[in-house]
Amino acid sequence: MDTFLRLMNGGAGNLAAYLAAHVLLCLLPAFLIAGAMAALIPKASITRWLGRSAPYRVSYPAAAAAGSVLAVCSCTIVPLFAGVYKKGAGLGPAITFLFFAPAGNVLALAYTGSILGADFAFARFALCLLFGIGIGMLMAMLFWRDDASHDKQTDALFAERANIGPAATGVLLSLVAVLIAGTLKVSLLTATVGAVTLPLPWAEAWQAMLFQWVPFDAARGEEGVSVQGSLLIVLLLLIGLSAWKGLENIVEGANRWTWIALGLTAATLLIAAMRLTPHADGLQFALTGRALAVGLTLWAVLHYGRRLEADAWQAWLWESWRFVKQIFALLVAGVFVVGVIRQLIQPEWIQNLAGSNTLLANAVAVVFGVFMYFPTLVEVPVAHMFLDLGMHRGPLLAYLMADPELSLQSILMVAAVIGRPKTFTYVGLVAVFSTVAGLLFGAWVDGANPAWIAIGLAAFLGALAALLAWTRRQRATPTHA
Amino acid sequence: MKTVKILGSGCANCKKLEAVVREAAISAGVEAEFVKVTDMKAIMAYDLLSTPGLVIDEKLVSSGRIPTQAEIRQWMAG
Repeated sequence: MDTFLRLMNGGAGNLAAYLAAHVLLCLLPAFLIAGAMAALIPKASITRWLGRSAPYRVSYPAAAAAGSVLAVCSCTIVPLFAGVYKKGAGLGPAITFLFFAPAGNVLALAYTGSILGADFAFARFALCLLFGIGIGMLMAMLFWRDDASHDKQTDALFAERANIGPAATGVLLSLVAVLIAGTLKVSLLTATVGAVTLPLPWAEAWQAMLFQWVPFDAARGEEGVSVQGSLLIVLLLLIGLSAWKGLENIVEGANRWTWIALGLTAATLLIAAMRLTPHADGLQFALTGRALAVGLTLWAVLHYGRRLEADAWQAWLWESWRFVKQIFALLVAGVFVVGVIRQLIQPEWIQNLAGSNTLLANAVAVVFGVFMYFPTLVEVPVAHMFLDLGMHRGPLLAYLMADPELSLQSILMVAAVIGRPKTFTYVGLVAVFSTVAGLLFGAWVDGANPAWIAIGLAAFLGALAALLAWTRRQRATPTHA
Repeated sequence: MKTVKILGSGCANCKKLEAVVREAAISAGVEAEFVKVTDMKAIMAYDLLSTPGLVIDEKLVSSGRIPTQAEIRQWMAG
């Protein structure tokens, strides 16, 4: 019974920590940005660069951009992947798109940054971009026959042109500004501008009770639930309820609940940006620079949002709400389970296996990433758990690169479109590239000389080039006519 | 009698689209047969880059979004 209570407490504590202010300031804007990208950026503005006749130097970056901007869910990933492969730029850009989409989209980047640190988000982004293009090119070269034998289909699917409108650009940029204002750790934003104390004498007792309900061990990197956290959780529940009534049929027009849900969302962001401290005589609301910045940027979102056409902002809200429905529930459940499991894992296991940046540690991390499947974004709290338990950041990056890229589900999906031999080659390449990425990032974290890292990268690319030269020689002696 | 095809692998938007189209068909008083297409190859036979796709009498009328009731009624009438 004691063990059970300890496990439940671990789960609840982890969940509470993830609903804390800094996570909300990242996730709420990120969901709105993802929705805006899905609804307001016309697909043709990017896909026109992915046609059959596009040169390499255009189609590969465009494929990466499509992965980053257009693809947050499988509704877009699978058809776009199949379309680019069969009717557009071919296997290489399609693979680049597929590889980059899970790591380069705004939800994954913002979430990684807020949980694991900005350096980690940047490394994940840069290495995935570099290696995504690399793997795409390798696949295109290895299977050059296949692309050459593609029937001469028309480019019609990719011929359409479109541009993103000024109001939509304004909305997107202001949302990104909200995200930055909410998460950037600079003194200008964390400074306190003024403070108001509301006479709420029960605040201190409530805090004591919260700490009693969810005990935590700061030494293990756990966070308790603050008064602010409990207020935010209540607000989140209210947003959920009002959004259900206000956003479920938003395509047909807004109702009273829509505005309540939006108002609550803005209030949640503002409260999350403040600092709430319980005192003996009441609850102190400290107005931070962050709260001012968030308020200002939210006003900008409203300003541009009002200039959008009705069907545009309705589609935007619908897509955001859909992402929340699709991802948030699984994320909450996943975070809870991670908290439970964490109570069961001994830190020594992780430290022995992946405590330092070795080839074996990186390979183990990649294998774990391939065989485990976590729902979208849950890989991030899992990574956070490993980090707290003593995993080296190098293998951790290797895991983070392999896990969302490769899962049984995505392997089956890719196999259905491009066939088994290509799929297995892709899986092998991702495993190798992820291991190398982990080794390189780990060496950088350990303070290795950047020159050595550059030499390592060059040696790896050289080995690949040699491999390619070898396959090309094989190609020169045709095995079948 | 219209033949309505919903193209999509079963994501949230596809289910929503089907609900919206069924409602539109009833309110417009159009008799329609519904077919759900989940096979990727069959979906890609139509020119679309994101699901859900809506096909009415073999013509792709929308993809990647959920149309409004009014739009669907218009397509049904045409």
